[in-house]
Amino acid sequence: MVDHFDARLVKLARQGDQESFADLVDLYKDKIFHLAYRMLLNRHEAEDIVQESFLRVYKNWERYDEKQKFSTWLYRIATNLCIDRLRKRKPNYYLDAEMNDQEGLDGYTLIPGDERTPESEYLLSETQQTIHHAIDGLPAKYKSVIILRYLQELSLSEISEVLDMPVTTVKTRLHRGRDFLRKKLQHKML
Amino acid sequence: MDCKQAASLMHEYLDDELFGEQALSLKKHLQGCPSCQMQFKELEQTELMLFATIKRTSLTASDELVDRIMKSIPSQHKQRAWIYWVKKHPAITAAAMFLLVMLFSAISLWNSDDQLVVKGKDLDQVIINGNTVTVPNGSKVAGNLTVENGIAEIYGEVEGNLTVIDGSLYQASTAKILGEVKSIDQALDWIWYRITNTFTEVAYR
Repeated sequence: MVDHFDARLVKLARQGDQESFADLVDLYKDKIFHLAYRMLLNRHEAEDIVQESFLRVYKNWERYDEKQKFSTWLYRIATNLCIDRLRKRKPNYYLDAEMNDQEGLDGYTLIPGDERTPESEYLLSETQQTIHHAIDGLPAKYKSVIILRYLQELSLSEISEVLDMPVTTVKTRLHRGRDFLRKKLQHKML
Repeated sequence: MDCKQAASLMHEYLDDELFGEQALSLKKHLQGCPSCQMQFKELEQTELMLFATIKRTSLTASDELVDRIMKSIPSQHKQRAWIYWVKKHPAITAAAMFLLVMLFSAISLWNSDDQLVVKGKDLDQVIINGNTVTVPNGSKVAGNLTVENGIAEIYGEVEGNLTVIDGSLYQASTAKILGEVKSIDQALDWIWYRITNTFTEVAYR
């Protein structure tokens, strides 16, 4: 049902119907934003990614294969943009590393307060914060798989399409990522 | 089954991809191995926590984002088609650009030449009056004579070729031209003349 609705919108938007395109943007902007935010941890950059993704969609309609799900194609564009961004950032220092001089301070405390972090808008339990923190600490290649799996609830084969890698690779990364998170969350469990 | 194998089967199970005999053998291993049992429990909880937590924190992009995106779109559309074409056909584009530049330079050269030009090696006896170029009776021009944008009046003798471009030629009965007489008016002729001229000039230099 949802897919059918999507397909109609996509078809109209592709023919140049602005209203349908706006509907598509409205329908997917939050999902892409959430995905980008989890990858980049910056609200501003995440919105940039949303905008850039839809611009790419608009510019590359002729490359869209209608047999593919629109969402898969969109996630693919957005994920690639995020990975590009992460690559361009210089990994000068690790946020998790504690500072020498002041105990208890790590890199996160030095990031200028993005006052409206999504976390601050919601009441999050300590456990939830720990989970987010653990995901944020994942290396990018695991992070993308984990986010697509748990946030967007994509199947393994969909993830493999989005990331353009074999299902076996997706599996390996999902397993490693999951194990990594298990170790981080161990002490939170009953 | 060793614990390493068991661990990979646990993940398969969480991916919903463990069935039948393998599932049974994992179960058997877990019953006899407390540390794997522990790990399995942790993995299962991690899985549940991940699904529950990430989904619950629904983030929303700012509301004006849709507007911003829609505003940035239409202006780009017009450029897109030809830019795309240009990117796909670099060779044709380069060739077209080359032709265009050649055409423009040729046209501008042709148009700008409305001044009288007289060319020749031996112009001592040629009389120029206004835009009229006269070779008087009894005089002799050694070599070629070229007149552009003017009237050539020949009463005397020209030992080489006589070329008149964008002008007119008057030959008196006393005129004597030993070489060829050429009159060029049209753009194409003119371009052809330019090209052959360049080549012969280069060749004889």
